[in-house]
Amino acid sequence: MPALESISGVRVSASPEALDAAPWPAPAVVLRFAPDDLFVIGATGIDVADEHAIVAEETGFVGAWLTPDELAERVIPHIEWPLPDARPALGQGFIAGVPCKLWLSDDRALLLCPAPYAHELAERLR
Amino acid sequence: MSPVGRIVVDGHPIPFESGDSVAMAVMRAGEHPHHGGTICLAGDCGNCVAQVNGVAYVRTCQTPARPGLVIQRHPALEAPPLPNLPQADLTDSRPAPSIGVRREDADVVVIGAGDSGIAAAAAAQRRGRQVTVLDARDGMEVVAIYAGLTVVVRTPDGMLHVHAHDVVVATGAAELHPVCPGNSLVGLVTVRAAQQLHAAGMDLGIAVAIGSVPSGVPCKSVPGRLIRIEGDGRVSGVVTADEDGSGRERTTPCDTVILGLGRAARDVLARMAMDLPVTVVGPAAEAFPLPASPTAGTVCPCSRVTVDDLESVWDRGFRELELIKRASLTGLGTCQGGACLPHVRAFIAHRADRIPDPFTARPASRQITLAEAAAGVHVDAFRRTPLHDEHIALGARMDRFGAWWRPWHYGDHVSEYWAVREAVSLGDVSTLGKLVVSGPDVVEFLERLYPTYVADIRIGRSRYALLLNERGHLIDDGMICREAEARFVLTFTSAGAENAEMWMRDWIDTWSLRVHVMDRTGSLAAINVTGPLAGQLLERVGLAAQPRFLQHVQAEVAGVPCHVMRLSFTGEMSFELHHSVDRSVELWRALMAHGQDLGIAPHGLQALHGLRLEKGNVIVGMDSELDSTPRRLGMEWAVKMEKADFVGRSALARTAGLPDDRRLVGLTMPGSAPTEGHPIWSGGEVVGHVASSFTSPLLGHAVMLGWLKRAPFPDRVEVDGRTASVVRPPFYDPEGIRARA
Repeated sequence: MPALESISGVRVSASPEALDAAPWPAPAVVLRFAPDDLFVIGATGIDVADEHAIVAEETGFVGAWLTPDELAERVIPHIEWPLPDARPALGQGFIAGVPCKLWLSDDRALLLCPAPYAHELAERLR
Repeated sequence: MSPVGRIVVDGHPIPFESGDSVAMAVMRAGEHPHHGGTICLAGDCGNCVAQVNGVAYVRTCQTPARPGLVIQRHPALEAPPLPNLPQADLTDSRPAPSIGVRREDADVVVIGAGDSGIAAAAAAQRRGRQVTVLDARDGMEVVAIYAGLTVVVRTPDGMLHVHAHDVVVATGAAELHPVCPGNSLVGLVTVRAAQQLHAAGMDLGIAVAIGSVPSGVPCKSVPGRLIRIEGDGRVSGVVTADEDGSGRERTTPCDTVILGLGRAARDVLARMAMDLPVTVVGPAAEAFPLPASPTAGTVCPCSRVTVDDLESVWDRGFRELELIKRASLTGLGTCQGGACLPHVRAFIAHRADRIPDPFTARPASRQITLAEAAAGVHVDAFRRTPLHDEHIALGARMDRFGAWWRPWHYGDHVSEYWAVREAVSLGDVSTLGKLVVSGPDVVEFLERLYPTYVADIRIGRSRYALLLNERGHLIDDGMICREAEARFVLTFTSAGAENAEMWMRDWIDTWSLRVHVMDRTGSLAAINVTGPLAGQLLERVGLAAQPRFLQHVQAEVAGVPCHVMRLSFTGEMSFELHHSVDRSVELWRALMAHGQDLGIAPHGLQALHGLRLEKGNVIVGMDSELDSTPRRLGMEWAVKMEKADFVGRSALARTAGLPDDRRLVGLTMPGSAPTEGHPIWSGGEVVGHVASSFTSPLLGHAVMLGWLKRAPFPDRVEVDGRTASVVRPPFYDPEGIRARA
């Protein structure tokens, strides 16, 4: 299991229409937490057509990039909710009792959790 | 057949043969796995339960014998003794051995691999469904069905949770146990059990069959109605009555009585899943005829409830099955009604002229250990601030508060207290809830949400605010900081942030307002720099233009971009430095280094609780109760009833005219502080309790916040056998001069 490391980027809370229309820097990984809330990994600035958007540098997550084998062996046994079938996709829920997000693509996955839970998650997935 | 190994029963090794269950091996040795009662060998009753490898109440008929198993039979008439554990060390947090959990998905789960189960599985497979068949005889004991659907299974390798689209219960039928005098003797078996024992090569001695006769088992069929079973510990004969109308009794000597008295649906899982989309097939779904109403003997062998006991509760007026169950304890034992339920229903049907439905079944249908029940369940995850390791390095004793690990003290909370009052101190307040709200309707939203005015808060200023629910009860508190015309930063208590966010989002949706919310609690750390020398310290690290009381600015502190909020919880000059979590250690160390000659020291929660108590500052959840209104808390100053509306306003208006029957007050008395929770006495009666207490080093006496719950409120009370004065807080710097310095 790779170590959990800080995953930084930009967090945006804005109208769903503005987020839908925003041009994201390729090949950024864009995690849509909710219709009005997303996290762009690795980005440093965002242009969103919503004058009231909340745009903040986000350093409050830790995560690990996983191979399909690591995902299957170390993480999936701790998940009680059904994984999405589509790829790429974002799953959100408790993993080993810790609130997490799991971004899934065809060849890798990103396990993400709020930084204050990093220690708990690492210990529980050890 | 010949023995293939030995198990240890009550300290004596006994052999077992291939395919033996523990119960069968014990019976092969001429013993009873318990101390008497009908043996079914089907897992339907509690007559074979024993302690297996230290685990009590194990159904030994369902436990394969294997070398080295240690069996301790339960006492004949009592519950098994609790294990004699050494004194537990509650501070030892080593994890206990855990039971693993596997999780699987299935289109269809079929419970039971009998005829009806196999047919149901085959039918589902023909429809292209992926089917999982679970049968206790294969070691897959289903103990629960939950909504979801989730089927919980105990397996030899741990627990299995199967998430299924459809569940078919095909658990078959159980054989009826006899209820008559002598039904607790050794030597009683059901028809199926007799067949199993015979097939295993066991000699049943002189065997007689009552009711249906097991095919292939040497026995004598005895006609008539079962009256009683005779014997002294073991069966010596069976008494039946002719059914020709004469009622004549006859006694048949025997060693074993084989009982073919009928069947009952084995439907505990079906009843457990009554409100779920579960299909029940085969005998488990059948309505078998009830046995005759019992007249004497033990009805519930698990709880040792007799017919006399049932009649006693019936005579006391308990006429419903669920009530009779609770009053007599029948059906509450190991087999969860497997043996007794048909007889109890017959007992009621005979007297009430109606057949009651079976009682409710709940997980677990079979005895599981706490470790098995807890398998896959995680204890609450507690968060760490980015300064956690700094606290440890400084000798902090960490503890859990409001879902976070926080420093309780760094060795001497009194020294920490003095650092705040006389010098400068750092407190880690990263745990505070921090939400950003923005949008064209944000002012309207906050005006509706908070009982204080929001629109008149100027950019760069902040205001303390209560958060109330619709009943006017306090649910949280914090600061409202205006960053721009349509953008605010809101703070909440450490324990209340998540609820506050949900609360706000609910109201935004309810009111259809255009407001964005972003929770920054986990993204921003915060350090409280507090004490009379706080300003001096911050000047050293680059904050020359410092905000005045209740102002806030964006500024660099020791090179770290911070949102600096000037406020005070400790009663001294205080600056909260909100900053990115990845810069927190750097900022903390810089402040500590630059404050050495100023007497800087970190303070933990123990000191903080005392400092804020001297100021009379309330901690939500510690000093407040679930129904605490601002009036009861003495915080009406924080509520602007002249506002047109806010959440909780109508409730506060309605209750304003009611008598003031509860009040949070300040208390002082000489000497040291009593523990929190201490009763408050007046006139020989308890009139309240202490919510917070602290022995003030500065004031030299005890200060407290306490609830008085009986009007008229006295001026003097007794706490801990001492006289305490009821006073109006704050106890320290009532003008707030030091905080505003």
